Amino acid sequence: MDLLLQFQRILESDPLIDEVGFVHPTQFATLAEDSTGDAAISDGTTFWCRDHKLGVSTQAVLPLYNEAKRAFIAAMEEYKRLGDGDDGLESEVMKHSKALLLLSSDFGTAWNSRKLVVSKKQQLSMYMGELLFSALVLSCSPKSDQAWSHRRWVIKSITGKCSALQEILGKESELVEKIAERSKMNYRAWNHRCWLVSYMTREQVLHELKKSRNWAGLHVADNCCFHYRRRLILRILKDSKLENASPGYSAEVSEVWKEELDWNEMLIKRYIGREALWLHRRFLSLCWMKQFATNLHDVSCHFELKISTSNSFNSFIDNELHLLNSCSTVPNNDFEDFQAQATYSATYILWLTKQIPEFWSEFQEKLTIGNLKTMLSKVCPERSFLWDSLID
Amino acid sequence: MGELAAEKHVQYILSAERRKDDFVSVVLEHLRMNGAYWGLTTLDLLGKLDTVDVYEVVSCVMKCQHESGGFGGNIGHDPHVLYTLSAVQVLALFDKLNVLDIDKVTNYIAGLQNEDGSFSGDIWGEVDTRFSYIAICCLSILHRLNKINVEKAVSYILSCKNLEGGFGCTPGGESHAGQIFCCVGALAITGSLHHIDKDLLGWWLCEWQVKSGVLNGRPEKLPDVCCSWWVLSSLIMIDRVHWINKEKLVEFILDCQDMENGGISDRQDDAVDVYHTYFGVAGLSLLEYLGLKATDPTYALPVDVVSRNFLGS
Repeated sequence: MDLLLQFQRILESDPLIDEVGFVHPTQFATLAEDSTGDAAISDGTTFWCRDHKLGVSTQAVLPLYNEAKRAFIAAMEEYKRLGDGDDGLESEVMKHSKALLLLSSDFGTAWNSRKLVVSKKQQLSMYMGELLFSALVLSCSPKSDQAWSHRRWVIKSITGKCSALQEILGKESELVEKIAERSKMNYRAWNHRCWLVSYMTREQVLHELKKSRNWAGLHVADNCCFHYRRRLILRILKDSKLENASPGYSAEVSEVWKEELDWNEMLIKRYIGREALWLHRRFLSLCWMKQFATNLHDVSCHFELKISTSNSFNSFIDNELHLLNSCSTVPNNDFEDFQAQATYSATYILWLTKQIPEFWSEFQEKLTIGNLKTMLSKVCPERSFLWDSLID
Repeated sequence: MGELAAEKHVQYILSAERRKDDFVSVVLEHLRMNGAYWGLTTLDLLGKLDTVDVYEVVSCVMKCQHESGGFGGNIGHDPHVLYTLSAVQVLALFDKLNVLDIDKVTNYIAGLQNEDGSFSGDIWGEVDTRFSYIAICCLSILHRLNKINVEKAVSYILSCKNLEGGFGCTPGGESHAGQIFCCVGALAITGSLHHIDKDLLGWWLCEWQVKSGVLNGRPEKLPDVCCSWWVLSSLIMIDRVHWINKEKLVEFILDCQDMENGGISDRQDDAVDVYHTYFGVAGLSLLEYLGLKATDPTYALPVDVVSRNFLGS
C-alpha cells in the first residue's frame, strides 16, 4: 500500500494541484536538478510535486493502478454494505476513486461511485468539487469521455439550484478553450462546449461568439472551433425567429452574419487551403441564401424590398464566383495548399448549387458547370468517382 | 498490393486475450467486453472462431451481467449499454442468445429511453446518439424493438442531423463518422432511411477520402483505419459506396498491418491494437476482400450470424 498512500498523501497535502502528468523515470533527475522557485516534494524516483503540478513516474503507474483499484473495490463493497450516513466510508470511496481515476480516466464504475456519494449528500460544494476534480483528470486525459460526461452530470444536477449557473457556464467554456489549446481538434471537449449553448442566455451566446473569434482566427485548421461558432449562430438564428424577438435583434443578427462572412473570406485568402474555413463558408452562405429565398418568394414581401434583396443576392453570387476565380489558379504544384484551395473553392460552389436548386439558373448563367467538373477532376483526381456521380 | 496476414492476426488476437497482466490490458480492463467483441468478431470473419472455448466465453460474459439486466465492461463493473450490446453481439456470434433472460435485458435497455426519444447510457443520464444505435441494434437482435417508442427514437436521431447532412452526439453536436454510422444504422434498422438526404450525406462522407485512399472521420484529421469502417458501412447503407475509390482503401488497410507480430494499427507504422485490428478486417470484409466472411454493415456482425438470428437456422 506504500505507493498508494504516498500518492494520496501528496494529493491531500496540496488541494490546489491542478495538473497531473506522467513522466519517464529518466526525467526525474532533470526535474530534481531544477532548483528555481519553491522546493519540490519528491522522493527522487516516483513522485514529484511543485507549483501545484504533480508528476508520476510511468514505471509506477501499473503497480499504483493495481493498489488503487484494490482499495477502491474494497471501499465500495463496504459502502454498499453499510451504506449511507457513514462519512468515513464515503470519504474512503472518494479518496480511492480519485487515485484510480487519475490513472485510468475512463474507469466508469469509479466515476459512478462519486456520483452516488455526491448525489446522496446534495451539497453544492461537493458538486463544485467534482468540477475541480474532473478538470484535474482532464489535465492528463483531455479526451476522457467519462470526465466530460461527469461535468455534464454536475451541471444538470445543479441547474435550478444554483444562482451562479451563468458564471459556471462561462468558466466551462473557458476550460474547453484552455484544453483545446493543448489538445487540438479535441472532439469531446468541443462537443461539451456545444452542449453548454442550450443553457446559455441570448446575451451570453452573442458574447461567446464575439469572444471566441480571436482564438478561431489563430486555429484555422481546427474544424471543431468553427463548428462551435455554427452552433452559436444557429442558436442566434433560432432566437431571432421567436415571437418575442425585437426587430433590433433581427438587425443585429444580419450584422453578425455579414461580419462572419467577411471575416471568413479574409481568413480564406490569408490561410490557403484550409478545409475548415471552406466548410464554415458553406454553412454561412447556405443560411444567407435561404434568407434571400424566403424574402424573394414571400408573396407579402414589399416590392422594393424584393428588388433590393434581389440586388443583394446578385452581388452575393458575384462575390462568391469572384472568390472561386481567385482561388482556382494553381501557381505551382510544389505546395499542395494551392491545389487544396482550388479543390475546396470549386467544391464549395458545387455544393451550394446542389443545396439551393431554386438558384441554379442564376449560377448557371454566370458559371460553366462543365469547367467545375474539369477543374475538380484535375486537382482532385482521387475523388473522381464522386465528381462523376455528382455532376452529370 | 500486400496481402492479408490472416494467420498472424489470429495469433495476435488469441495472445491478446490471454495476456491479462501487462499495462495495456490492465488499464483497459473496464472495457474488456468491447475487446471481446472486437477480437471474437475478427476471429469469426477470419473463419477461426472455433479456436476459442465457447463455454469459457459465455460464462465470462454472463458473469458481467448486473442485477438490473445490463452488462458491465468486466466482472464487478457497473452496467452500461455500451457493454450490453457487446455482450449480446458476442453471444450472437456463438448462437448462444438462448442463455439470456431476454426480458431482463430488454427491460434494462427500454428503461433507459427518455421522454424526448433519446437514450441514456446508464442510470446516470448521459445522452448520445451512440446509445440510440445501441438500444435499437440490441433490441432488434433480441426481437424486442416493440418495447421502445421507435417513432420518438427516430425523431430524436433526426434532430441531431446537421446542415451538411452528418450527425452529432446530441442536437447541435459536430458531425463525426462514428456518430454518423450509429445514426444511419439506427435509421436503417427502424426502416427510416428515407429521412436522410443520401446524396448530401454521401458527399460529406466521401470528402474524407484523402490522397492515400484512406478515410478520415472529420475534416483535417489524420486518416485512421477505424474510420474506414464507419464511413464504408454508412455509404453501403445509403447505397453510395460506388462514390469512393475502394482499391486505394484496401491498399491502405493492408499497409497498416504488422506483418511480423500480427494486428492492425490506426495508420502505417503505429502500434497495433485489437480495436483497429477489428475495424481493419471488417473494413476489408465490406470491401469484399477474398477469404473473409461477409460483414453486415448495420449490425457489425458476420452476415451468417445476422441471417441465422433473423431467419432461423
